[in-house]
Amino acid sequence: MIGLLAQLDHGASTGATPWHRASALGKLIVALGLVGLGIFSPSLMLLGVLHGIAWLLVLTSGLPKRVALAAAAYPLLFLVLLVAARWDGTPATVLLLVLRPLTASLTAVWLVGTTPYPDLFAPLSRILPRNAGDGLFLTYRALFSLLARAEDLQQALRLRGGMSGSPRRRLALMGEGLGTLVVHSFERSQSLYSTMLLRGHSGRICGCRHYARMSRADLWVGGAAVALVAASVLLWTSP
Amino acid sequence: MSHLHLPDGVVPLWLWAPAWPIALALLALSNRSVPPQRVAYQGALGALMLAAMAVPLGPLEFHLTLAGPVGILLGAAGALPVVFVVSAILAFLGHGGLTVIGLNTFVLAAAAATASVAFRALGRLRPAWGMALASAAGQLVAGVLWAGIVYATLRAGPLPAGGARPAPRVELFTGLVLVLWIVGTLVESVVAFGIGRFLMNVHPALLPRAPKARNSEVEAAA
Repeated sequence: MIGLLAQLDHGASTGATPWHRASALGKLIVALGLVGLGIFSPSLMLLGVLHGIAWLLVLTSGLPKRVALAAAAYPLLFLVLLVAARWDGTPATVLLLVLRPLTASLTAVWLVGTTPYPDLFAPLSRILPRNAGDGLFLTYRALFSLLARAEDLQQALRLRGGMSGSPRRRLALMGEGLGTLVVHSFERSQSLYSTMLLRGHSGRICGCRHYARMSRADLWVGGAAVALVAASVLLWTSP
Repeated sequence: MSHLHLPDGVVPLWLWAPAWPIALALLALSNRSVPPQRVAYQGALGALMLAAMAVPLGPLEFHLTLAGPVGILLGAAGALPVVFVVSAILAFLGHGGLTVIGLNTFVLAAAAATASVAFRALGRLRPAWGMALASAAGQLVAGVLWAGIVYATLRAGPLPAGGARPAPRVELFTGLVLVLWIVGTLVESVVAFGIGRFLMNVHPALLPRAPKARNSEVEAAA
């Protein structure tokens, strides 16, 4: 999962498609619109078109197809169980139950894969309570360094026989390993907070302000929004 | 079971829509009760939860959540923003829905809050055992909440308009949920035991004890 996140993060920072140049705010609005329309769509035909638009967005985002597929397919396990439990014998039910979540997950992948995280979190941090808004930045920032440490720890455990023995022993040792990461996290957070104060932290991390800066590339986002509205107007009452 | 995040578009509106304002209100409340200097520690433990979730422990993408230990270390109010942020970042990855971040937050927060309360209640036990039992209690409560949401989804979730609404085959879910629930609770408890044992030996000030002791120790550690 983190490998996936790392690849999406890399794609968001290094991609050069118009989606990458467009403003984060515009993409966020389009993404929320697409997810919302997908969820509330009463028409299977409209849902199919929205799903097609989501695929189009992902395929033109420059992300490796394997990464996009892996990220978008996560809900499938849950959906298989859900469809098995609720299927009434009609294909319409399967399509409805599967297309809604997959459209949403594809849209999320497009958004995250074309928007660097400071730009993505900046508008959200302005509307969320401080602890959650700041937490988005700090958690994401801490994740990759912690992961590198976790991999080293896993390797050390394996080399020193920590991965052998009964499952109970292995899990308890894994817990002790995670304990070292808790201590590391605590110590690191102390120095990080001191650094934040030294740099003039005002009690709130707001992120950069260019998340709303429009450019010519936003015409593509506007085009996607127009396509969503047009599809909804034309197909809302279709079967 | 709290690791199997609910996706978008399958949960009924009456269930996921109220979860958002409630979650935001609780976040605003927790904002008041947690000192701002803990924000970096919360972020670091959120990252630890995500890192732990990245390690698969078997089939079906089974993984740890660490909601119990994080709830014990931060307290219920301190853990709430952490599990919200974890749910939000996972939703941006397609792991769980954007519209159901509130609900997924509640499931993880139930585990964290229950573990926090249970750990205090088990104050006479050694911290490692207290952490293991409290995490188990958290997993049990979160599992009940998760199963309740799933059963509501099975009974009242969206279906094509005009179509028949046959009774859902809940036994299919029940069988799988029970197995994963028991395995998940055992795994989380043993790992929590290891975390508790290590912290007790190396950095006991990070572990909460009685409420009075906890405040002074955390201040001293900070």
